[in-house]
Amino acid sequence: MSAADIVATSVRKVYHKDRIEIPVLDGLSLKIDAGEFVVLMGPSGSGKSTLLHLIGGLDSPTSGSIRVGEYNLERMTERELTAWRSRHVGFIFQMYHLVPVLTAAQNVELPLLLFKMSSAERRERVATALKVVGLADRTDHRPNQLSGGQEQRVAIARAIVTDPDVILADEPTGDLDAKTSEEILALLNLLNSEFNKTILMVTHDPRAASHGQRVVHLEKGVLEREERNPARPAMAAS
Amino acid sequence: MHLRLIYLYRNLTRNKQRTLLTCAAVALPMVIYVLSTAVVSGVDAFLDNSARQLRLAVTHKASIINMLPEGYALKIKSLDPTGERLRAACGMRWIGGKMQNVTQPLSTVAVDAEEFIKAFDDFKLTETEKAAWLRDHQAIIVGRGTAAIFGWKVGDRISIRSSVPPYTSLEFHIVSTAEHAQDANTNWCHRSYYEEDLKKNIPEATQGMVSFFFVKCGSKADLDFFRVEIDKLFARTIDETKTQDEKAFMNEFITQQFDLPRNLTILSIVTVFVAVMAATNTMSMNFRDRFNEYATLKALGFGGGYVFTLIQTESLGLCLLGGIFGALMPYVAFMHTPLGRVPVPVIQHLEIRPIVCLHAIAIAAVIGLIAAVWPSVLALRLKVVAALRNLE
Repeated sequence: MSAADIVATSVRKVYHKDRIEIPVLDGLSLKIDAGEFVVLMGPSGSGKSTLLHLIGGLDSPTSGSIRVGEYNLERMTERELTAWRSRHVGFIFQMYHLVPVLTAAQNVELPLLLFKMSSAERRERVATALKVVGLADRTDHRPNQLSGGQEQRVAIARAIVTDPDVILADEPTGDLDAKTSEEILALLNLLNSEFNKTILMVTHDPRAASHGQRVVHLEKGVLEREERNPARPAMAAS
Repeated sequence: MHLRLIYLYRNLTRNKQRTLLTCAAVALPMVIYVLSTAVVSGVDAFLDNSARQLRLAVTHKASIINMLPEGYALKIKSLDPTGERLRAACGMRWIGGKMQNVTQPLSTVAVDAEEFIKAFDDFKLTETEKAAWLRDHQAIIVGRGTAAIFGWKVGDRISIRSSVPPYTSLEFHIVSTAEHAQDANTNWCHRSYYEEDLKKNIPEATQGMVSFFFVKCGSKADLDFFRVEIDKLFARTIDETKTQDEKAFMNEFITQQFDLPRNLTILSIVTVFVAVMAATNTMSMNFRDRFNEYATLKALGFGGGYVFTLIQTESLGLCLLGGIFGALMPYVAFMHTPLGRVPVPVIQHLEIRPIVCLHAIAIAAVIGLIAAVWPSVLALRLKVVAALRNLE
């Protein structure tokens, strides 16, 4: 599957709590090229995760539009968004969110239940995904038998097994030590450079941010500034 | 095995203690349902058999504990001098009974010996048994279930202490174990023997009184006719009568004793309701424990319908496990072990029909579906973003 570009235009997101309006994103516009690795940074409450969720179709903007590839998300129903997510988006969470009673291979296989394919093809895809993340020898281990870094690798394998256009990572190294974080970030770099995935990663960690091609800083729901990473020039999308 | 089935199985075994307790909470009501249904069916069969016997029961109009004069028997029989339409009128007096050093009470009825044979021809006593019964003042026909409990056999001499005055020990000779009688528990002895004992021990006691009469009729039409005529005969006397067919009498007697059908139905409903609450509680706890998992599934692209079905299937599986266990346990116990031969009051022995077990399993399935409704709806409405925000 080819990478998809992401265009967010004048996105507003307002939450309501106890009849009080809480604006989280305030007319934010952002363009991410297909195959680009963009890092979202900003203080807590700046709207990073909200933007990530909107781009992933987990939530709808109060106003504005979001286009991912050829799909205008604001025009899609919840059912359509769910189906779209399963085919075009891979999520990586800070806390991994693996199913504790399933093995690594079964966790990775889970999203493939949404696809019509033979069990042989599923097994092959799972094996490939686990090989990419370096866990080919841990297929039968359950999450509680894996280290935090290994769990996150399984979560990454689960995110890429459906071959999505976009990978959305919400603080994927937030719960890991420095060494393991580097390994996970190297893996994301690999997915970006070798597999040409568009990656949008939220992080607080400047070292993690240095792995992106571009760092976007949010402040109070608006785009404060952008920085290009000269060490990692953007590649042309395939 | 397919991943969906693996996931279902692992969910069921995720918290084994919770699963076990919930299964037990569903199984127990199913055991009660199956046994209750068997008891009610047994009572119905007993009553249906009573309905076929063309017998009328005549009691005091005021209540069953009021006695009637034994002389009523001749007056009743005078309604049909030919003896074709009204074949017997048997006076009976309940004397209960207790064995020495045995706590279990007995049911013994003192009857008019000759009339008893005519009125209860469905006992199919052999000629030898009939002769022994009529010949011996101390003869007793024991219920085969009672005989099995105490190891009695024809020819044995037994001693029973009456539960009504004069509370003396009466010696009996067993002449039959009534192999064909519907009632396998009641014992039948000569009323004249009891009256003799009463006269000897309490001379001042009122004698010649009976608890009720059983009147054998020649046909269904005769049954309907004499049911009215007998009450007319004793209308406006000191001891007015209430005549009803044997089925109605037995039904009233059973209802007065313990109102089985009603009470068992209430018990079944209450326990099923408790099972629904227990299963709902389990599924709610499961939802609370796993809402992050459901949120993740939704984020991965599984629709609300999938998560709804996942919870419903798990609840269904959980309750079916309990239901199958609860339905099969009494079936195996009463149909394939010696427990099935233990006599039960009124209905001889419990017969557990497979169809009742299937009903129980179906009820368990419904419990499972109901129990999962609320958590399923919660999962369906679960906002992924809100759930993830709570967790991270």
